[in-house]
Amino acid sequence: MIALKNVTVGDPHLQGHFPGNPIMPGVLLVEAMAQAAGLLLPEGSSALLAQIKEARFRRPVVPGDQMRIEAERLGGLGALHRFAVKASVEGAPVAEAELVLAVNDRGREGTP
Amino acid sequence: MNDIVQRVRQLLATRLKLAKTVDEITDDTPLFAPTGLGLDSIDALELVLGLEKEFGVVIEDRAVAIRVLTSIKTIAEFIQSQGKG
Repeated sequence: MIALKNVTVGDPHLQGHFPGNPIMPGVLLVEAMAQAAGLLLPEGSSALLAQIKEARFRRPVVPGDQMRIEAERLGGLGALHRFAVKASVEGAPVAEAELVLAVNDRGREGTP
Repeated sequence: MNDIVQRVRQLLATRLKLAKTVDEITDDTPLFAPTGLGLDSIDALELVLGLEKEFGVVIEDRAVAIRVLTSIKTIAEFIQSQGKG
């Protein structure tokens, strides 16, 4: 699975992170990577992050960058699925992590 | 069989963040019971992926995992029954 995220100066989370020096927050890189991984789950699945392993942030992601996110499913058990995910900008690695997503079917039905 | 048990112990020690050392538990200690190692479902996934890498055994079914991952002994017996190790 390959997903793209265009980082623009209009992204609201960049306003204060940091004033005059916009950098995509690391947690949002992880969120983008988790969403890309989630696309490998059966269509319509609702999933939550269950584990972040071996996360590395190699260089800042700034407005104007197009992030290319590559997700691969490593395996799973029951509701849990493990993915290796890499993010790059113009071929240069910016972040990588192994993520575990938990499929949460209750969330889809709207019950707590 | 003893060799498989030692490798399973090694796998537990290296892949999981355990509150106890593997030397403190017996081959029959329940891995998931709070009185045993108190492992959780994320640990189970870690173990399943580790067993696949180390021994080439594949566990995809949750019911099979619950049965196999009961203790070090049941894991070793499963590996042997699959003709691996």
